[in-house]
Amino acid sequence: MTGTPMISLRAIRKSYGDNFELGPVDLAIEPGYVVAVVGSNESGKSTLMRMLMNLVQPDSGELMLLGGTYPDDEVAIKQRVGYVPERSLGHDEMSANSLGEFVSHWYPRWDGRRYEDLLERARIEPNEEFGKHSRGVQRRLAFALALASGCELLLLDEPTAGVDPFARREMLEEITRFMDGGVGRTVLFTTHVMEEVRRVADYVALLVDGEFLGLHEKDALRDRWKSFWLDREPEGEIPGVVEVVGDGPPTRIVSDSSEETAKALSAQDIGIVRSGRLDLEEILSHLMSRKQERRRA
Amino acid sequence: MNGESTQPHVPLHLSMDDPEPMYRQIESQLRGFILSGVLQPGTRLPTIRALAHDLSCSVITTRRAYEDLERDGFIRTRVGRGTLVAEIPEEKMSAYRREAVDGALREAVRAGRRAGLSEEELRSIFEETLQGEDTSVHQGGTTS
Repeated sequence: MTGTPMISLRAIRKSYGDNFELGPVDLAIEPGYVVAVVGSNESGKSTLMRMLMNLVQPDSGELMLLGGTYPDDEVAIKQRVGYVPERSLGHDEMSANSLGEFVSHWYPRWDGRRYEDLLERARIEPNEEFGKHSRGVQRRLAFALALASGCELLLLDEPTAGVDPFARREMLEEITRFMDGGVGRTVLFTTHVMEEVRRVADYVALLVDGEFLGLHEKDALRDRWKSFWLDREPEGEIPGVVEVVGDGPPTRIVSDSSEETAKALSAQDIGIVRSGRLDLEEILSHLMSRKQERRRA
Repeated sequence: MNGESTQPHVPLHLSMDDPEPMYRQIESQLRGFILSGVLQPGTRLPTIRALAHDLSCSVITTRRAYEDLERDGFIRTRVGRGTLVAEIPEEKMSAYRREAVDGALREAVRAGRRAGLSEEELRSIFEETLQGEDTSVHQGGTTS
């Protein structure tokens, strides 16, 4: 990946009193990719998103978006960013129509027809007050506003929270359609739902208790991590093994570098009864618990 | 706009139990469909993003598969027209088909050797299989 990153964070830190510290976060996201930010509750995901919108300022570090910085380039940056905040928009009394009218002034590339189309597809009554919609419909409306903005970068903070599975499916399709609608478009979204990561993400950014655990290429993880069922227990150190389950045989081992592990097993003449990829959820929880163990030690 | 038009779909499937990397699975399935004529020359393929969505993988994987297939002449990408199945010269087609059969037969011979069968036995199994397949294909043709 080369060129100017869409988002670039260098040694970003933010703390709230003694209770919470986020960072340091070092992260570069190239244009053209969908990145899922995954982590436990209170892990700092929303703080990170708000920082990217300059609603929260980092204590230290460098933050760049679309090649610009806050506060100097704030207007220019925000004209190219569509944002869905974690909480409501703060305009409960406005209808979808008046929200569209209001938001359109911010965005020079606002697409009114697209907005109408999105509302129709989501079956949102354009004259109903925002506050009167269910939480799920409110999310979809905020999402429609972001999509119709004509932006290049979408920042979505839990866009599907409270949304039913069918509507969620349509939203994921909208993300794919957005990505295919122009070169260099980029999406960063936070989620708790693994199915969304599986479906649309190219990269996964992991956050645990404010600690940034890196940006991982989703399919590289899934091609590298494997589980093996063995006809006998291996002797000594086998490269890549992160977990041994059961007092077998058969014994199940989990490896984060399956090729090296398979080679070492065959050198010991150990038979592989069965092997397979790990579920993404299992891989991510391994990555997260590994970090927590290190901290406890 | 490109993203608004409907995306073509192809009958691909990623197996999580297959030790082959995901991009290779996509490559070999697409190559198979193209060689067998399921996907005819000129057929439009989904964008790398739409295919990634369908298969729940990343564009890094689908792009890699398309790049390899394009390099080998199976597909071509035209700016503004998307990715299409390429016209493959007949001699190249039969060479590829031959390659697949060669590989399968070699594997069968190896399996026979591992089972301790003699050359003579292997030959007679081959003959029997050939005749058995012949009848079943024939029967299949007449019952339809």
